[in-house]
This record gives sequence, C-alpha cells and structure tokens, in this order.
Amino acid sequence: MQLVAIGVAIAVGVTLVAVRFQWLPTSASVEFDRIQDVYWLATVISIGIFSLVAAVIVYSVWKWRVPLDDDRDGPPIHGHTGLEILWTAVPATLVIIIGVVSAIVLARNGEAGTRPLQVEAIGQQFAWRFAYPDYGGATSGELVLPVGREAEFTMKAVDVIHSFWVPQFGQKMDAVPGIETTILVTPTRTGEFAVVCAELCGLGHATMRARARVVTEPEFEKWIAEKRG
Amino acid sequence: MTTTHPDQRETMEYPAHYEPPRGQAWRLFFGPGLVRGLWMGLLFFCLGMLLVVALRTWWGWDPAWLWPVIWPIAGMVTAPVGFLAGIGAFDYWLYYISGRPTRPEDHSGHGAYSWRDYFRVNTDHKVIGIQYLVTTFFFFTVGGLMAMLFRAELAQPGLQFVDSQAFNGLVSAHATLMIFLFIIPAFAGIANFVVPLMLGAPDMAFPRLNALSYWLLPIAGFMFLASFLAPGGSFAAGWTGYAPLAEGQPLGQTFFNMGVQWAGASSVMTALNFLVTIITMRAPGMTFWRMPLLVWANFTTSLLVVIATPFIAGSQFFVMFDRILHTDFFIPDGGGYVLGYQHIFWFYSHPAVYIMMLPGFGIVSEVISAFARKPIFGYRLMALSLVGILVLGFSVWAHHMFVAGMADWLRVPMMITTLLIAVPTGIKVFSWTATLWRGRIHLTTPMLFALGFVTMFVIGGLSGIYLGSVPIDIAASDTYFIVAHIHYVLFGGSVFTIFAGIYFWFPKMTGRMYDERLGRWHFWLTFVSFNVTFFPMHYVGLRGMPRRVFDYDAAFGDLNLIISIASFALGASFIVFLYNMVTSWARGPVAESNPWHAHSLEWQVSSPPPVFNFDEIPQVVAGPYEYGVPGARHAVMSPAKEAQEVPA
Repeated sequence: MQLVAIGVAIAVGVTLVAVRFQWLPTSASVEFDRIQDVYWLATVISIGIFSLVAAVIVYSVWKWRVPLDDDRDGPPIHGHTGLEILWTAVPATLVIIIGVVSAIVLARNGEAGTRPLQVEAIGQQFAWRFAYPDYGGATSGELVLPVGREAEFTMKAVDVIHSFWVPQFGQKMDAVPGIETTILVTPTRTGEFAVVCAELCGLGHATMRARARVVTEPEFEKWIAEKRG
Repeated sequence: MTTTHPDQRETMEYPAHYEPPRGQAWRLFFGPGLVRGLWMGLLFFCLGMLLVVALRTWWGWDPAWLWPVIWPIAGMVTAPVGFLAGIGAFDYWLYYISGRPTRPEDHSGHGAYSWRDYFRVNTDHKVIGIQYLVTTFFFFTVGGLMAMLFRAELAQPGLQFVDSQAFNGLVSAHATLMIFLFIIPAFAGIANFVVPLMLGAPDMAFPRLNALSYWLLPIAGFMFLASFLAPGGSFAAGWTGYAPLAEGQPLGQTFFNMGVQWAGASSVMTALNFLVTIITMRAPGMTFWRMPLLVWANFTTSLLVVIATPFIAGSQFFVMFDRILHTDFFIPDGGGYVLGYQHIFWFYSHPAVYIMMLPGFGIVSEVISAFARKPIFGYRLMALSLVGILVLGFSVWAHHMFVAGMADWLRVPMMITTLLIAVPTGIKVFSWTATLWRGRIHLTTPMLFALGFVTMFVIGGLSGIYLGSVPIDIAASDTYFIVAHIHYVLFGGSVFTIFAGIYFWFPKMTGRMYDERLGRWHFWLTFVSFNVTFFPMHYVGLRGMPRRVFDYDAAFGDLNLIISIASFALGASFIVFLYNMVTSWARGPVAESNPWHAHSLEWQVSSPPPVFNFDEIPQVVAGPYEYGVPGARHAVMSPAKEAQEVPA
C-alpha cells in the first residue's frame, strides 16, 4: 500500500546517499577494515529506522491533514500494549547487536600480535615527534611504518592533551600529560597520509600535522638504518 | 490554637501599600532597581578589589595589585552580588534577617503593567518566563552571529578574517552561549510560564527565588561576553575547557570558569523551584498520572539539573584554583590527574544533553497531541521513558572519553548503557508517530517545527548510535562528524522544539496571534538551510576534517563554502522569526483564550492569564489529552473569561 511505497522510496533515496558518496576514507589498516564493518552494520539499521519513522510521518501528514479550521477530534486511541512492547524490544535487540559486534571489533583491534613494532608518538605544541625504541630510540618528525606489520603506538604529551589521528588508519588516541596511552595500527597499503592532531591544543592546533609514510619492510629497514646513522 | 501563615500575619500588621516616605530622586538612587544595581555593583567591585589588595599587602605578597586575582574576586564575585543586592533581589530576605519590618507581600512585585516591569525584580512567574525568553533570544542572536563570523573564516582554507586565538575564542563562546545562555534557560523560560499554569497553581513555590534565579543569568551572559575585552581575548579552550590547556590560557578563561558558576547557580535554583512546585502545588485531583508530559519533562529535567550541575561547578573551580591559587588538581607534575577533569566535567555535561532535550520532548508531546487531535500514544510509557533517560543518563558520561586514554575496561560498559538510551528515546519517537496515525493533523507552525524536530532528532539519534559504538567513535571522535551530530541533536532537536513551544504558547503569553504565513516561511527556510549547513559536516568529518580548526585540507574547501553559505541563510531565516514575533506582539490579532482547543489548564484561563492565573481553583478530573473522548474534560472550572487585556 501507499505507506510501504513511501517507505521504500525513502529507503532507496537514503541508501543512494549512503552508497553513492564515499563517506569513509579508503581504509589503510586492518583495524579500520573492521571498524568499517561496524559502520555498515549501523548504517543498514539506521536506514531502516529512519525510513520507517519518516515514512509514517510523511504518510500521516499526507493522508490525514485537515484544514486549520476543522474542529473535529481524531479517534481516542490511548495506546496499544503490544505495539509498545514491540518498539521497546526491537530497538533494544538492535542496539545490543551493535554493542556486541562493536565490543568484538574493539577487542580484536586491541590484540597486539607477537612482535609489534614499538613506536612512541610524542605530542608537543604544535608538532609530532616519533621515536622507535626497538631501533635504539631513533627519532623522526615523520612517521614511517612498514606495511603489513603491526605497530603499537605509545602516546606521550609534553604540555597539553593532543590526539593522534590518521584518518585512513581509522584509529585515534589522545596523548595525555602524565599518563601513557596506546593504540594499534596495522597498515595494509603503502602511501602517504597525514597525521592530524584531533584534540584542541591551542593556537597552532589546526596546523599540527605530520607526514605518515607507509613503505615496504626493506624500505623501512633502510630508512631506520639511516635514522640511526 | 490556630497558626497563621506568615504572609497573612504581616498583611494584618502592616499597611497594604508600604512605601518608604521619601522623594522620587531618593527612590531612584536608593530604591531597588537598575540604577541602584549599577552603583552597588561598582561599589562592591571596589570593596572586592580593596579586600584582595589589603590581604596581599598584609601577607607581604608582591605585587599586591594583581589583576588576574582581582578580576575573579571583585569582578566576578563581589560586583555581581552588589548588583543583585542593588536591584533588590535580596531586599525581603535582608529585611527579614535583620529584624526590620519586611515589606508585606502586597503583590506589587507581581504582574507587568508596563514595559518597565520587565526590567525589575518581578516575582510573577509569567513575567519571569518572558524575561528569560527575551534574554535568551538576545544571547541566541549573539551566539548565532559568532557562528556566522567563524563560518566566514571557514569558507576557505587558510586564515582570512580572524587570528587563531580569536577563532578559538569565537568557537568556544558560541557553544558556551548557546548551551548556558540559550537552550537551558530558554526551556526554563517556557517552563516558568507554562508549568504553574498547567498545574493549576497561582505561581511557583518560591517566587523570590525564581526572580533571583533569573537575574543570575544576565550576569553569566555578561561575563562570557566581557571575556572578549580581557587581555589575550576570550576563553579559547573550547566550551569543554579541558585541562591542562585551559590552565595556561590568558585571563579570559577565568571569565568562563566563573560565568559557568552563575549560570549553573541559576539552573539549580530554578530546578529546585520546579521540583517543589510540581510536588506540592498541583491543583486538587492533579495526580502525577494526570500531569501533562511537559510537566513530567520538567520534573525529570529538574532532577538532572539538581544532581548534575554541581559537578561542572566543581570542575571549573578546580581549574580556576589551578590557575590562580597554584593548586595541582590537573597538573601531572604536581601529582594532578588530567583525566580527572574530563570525568567530572562529563558527569555534568552528559546529563546536560538531556537537560537540553527532555523539556523539548515535553513541548513536542503537547504540540503533537493538540494538533493531531488525539491522545498522546502510550502516555504512561512516555512518562516512564523520561524517567528511564534520567536514570540511564547518569551512567554514560565516559562515552565522551573513548579516545581520551581512560581505563580500557570502562569502555564497553559505557558503550552498552549509551546504546540502551536509544530504547527510551525510541519509545518516544515511535509514540509520537503513532499519535499522528489516523489523527486530524493541523499543520500549524508549531506542528511543523514538532514534526521537523522528530525527523531531525531521529538523524541526530542515529548518528549517536554510530558514536556510541566504541570502534566507530574512535574513528569519528573529535571530527566534524561530532559537530554534525550535536547540531542535529541540539539545533534540529532542542532549538526546533523551542521554536515549536514559542509559537504554541505565543497567544497565551502575549494575548495575540502570530502570523501563520511568516511562521511557515520561517520553518521551511530554517529546515532547509539547517540541513544544508549541517548534513555535509558528517561527510567532511568522516573524511578527515577535525573539529575546532581554522584551517583545513584544501580538499574540503568546496563543501565548507556550501556549509558557510547555508549557515548565513540559516541566520537570515531567524530574521523572519524575529520580525514575526515583534510585529505580532505589537499588533497581531487578539488571541482567544484557547485558540488550539487544547485541554490542559493553561488554555482554560484568559490570554494572557490573570495575575494570579486562576480566579477559581480548578478541580482536575481526568488526563490532559482526552481528545476525541466524548464529553471528556481535564478539569472542572467556570468558563474562561475571554481575553481580557491586562491594564496597560
């Protein structure tokens, strides 16, 4: 019937918006691949719920709109226990599903492999510095990572809170003065990316960027050897 | 022995119209009012300054004359107290505690007979409601202009109009004004006007406290604005004011620390007043299960305010102590704990999201039921879902900290509680749509805003599901996706409901009708420009644009230009609203007492209502939404007197 037609039309429209535009950056890490799965799960559920609500509103207004001077009342429907139980239980189930999937992805994104590359990311107004403790503490203003090898970042902040973020890695973690925080990134493709500070850190926050380069393992070894020089 | 009510006793002992036997000029300077407020504010500023300088000299601290200490004490504590004493907010209590004859309650502080009555301490909840609304819309305009200023800056990558400190200051002040001086108090203003009427009460439980809570508000707003004049500019650490960034900021940050105290005190006093009013001043027969949902909404909101607000007060005091007393609450080198700030701050500021949302839920329930001509669907579950949000709302604060480096084990429990809030919220959305079903829908301006709210709020709620999921939040946190989400919740959500409420009760508040055609224009212009402004922000955020930046990757240039242009259109749409309000208030057609044929009590009295609301006490006999039930009434009382103008 008409309600279903309106609902389907809205769902198709919203779905086109969701898939025609590339909403997420092309993933460059194993972790972001998993996050994108959760993202699409949430998107499917969201499209369903939005289409349902929007369709009922559009249909109701279209079907039951009356002129402003109409002074009759609608039918005195006070509620419906079955429906109310239904729309308590169904959303609860859906969010629990999202919650469980999210918790699994979170746990897997937090499992360090056997031999992760240790990287320290040090935030200071308004620049990033990266140190490689496995390689004699070599430091660099540029982040270089070997492709396919898990990197375990330890964040440190010198002055105020900063936040380490590479949009294509999908991982983000604040660097907090006084404590050390960690996050894992396993790059899946070579290329150049931007390290962005995501936490307001003062006057130069917008310009607090660094270059991240993902290279092959031999290239990395060569680069790090030069750094240790 | 019979006990007499204190007020009655005083009325018997003192003449009804007690005025100090002095002349006009004496009264102007020494009688309660803005003039006395001004000079007493200045006087108390000097006293505060002297106190600081004297103590520092006595202690031998150098320099004795230290402005970063004088400002918070003299400018932000003693001067406002002097101002409040000057306008007469404390007069009754001071007379009482000093044993002098208190001025008997002759109701001279009640009602507004000329525009001047809006500029003095007035104890009439209807006058205070309008004082709140006019004040908050003033700050809404200022906050909106700030937004347009930094949208102009953001139209192109790079730095064009303002410097980096000014940009951060504008962003911070925009958010602060919109939250503390617009959304929270605008809802308090609507509730101030409507709740006592809905309950069948003559006024709020504590009218003098009510007046005081209003007058704290302009003080807070003045402080936030005055920060722009401070050396080093306005507070620029975001409205979240995270330590340790906030601790090293120039003087402007102190204005934020203290402004929040005044705004927060105002909220807490109003909330206490609402709680006592709702619990003790319901008309005969008005059981909790017969209260309109707007009253339920303000009841739960007030509980949130009373329980949560002290936490933000604490967080700002700690930061200020770190700044001027050199304590080490949030300074790691001194043993402080940086994340402690965020935990305390969000323990208020997450419930604050519901403080800014639940009253809107109440308004929308009234509007949708009245204009669908149907009882609200599932009334009891609607009320209980408010309570559910109230309780759950306190267990989710750390979802703002998924990437903050807090304890890992805290993330999954906070994610589950966060996602579960979708359940009571979903109940409300589905019940509103079910109320529409088979209704007789009148598409008036308030109804348009209510329906616009439901759709926009669903988008905001769904993006909240994304952010509630920890892995997605890790990717999307601190980006423009957050900016999009909060504006769908707070603009598409709260602000739309404020507009719905203003239009809905405009005839009751002013006794005149607004212009329906202009109202529709306002809605559609706002609805379209709002979506063009904020929807693309989801995209730029996910693609890699962080929030709170004046400069960004050139790839986002085109979209940001579109967003900026749409934001100017959004600002322009507000002019339609202002024009409609001003002209309709001045010379709109006279409103009937019940233009919407609604059942709740405020519509059973004249528009505007009599000074003491009800000429006879209503007897409540049924629920407030019995549309379509033959012969159903919410309350029994003599027929409303047709719109009698309050004598000018």
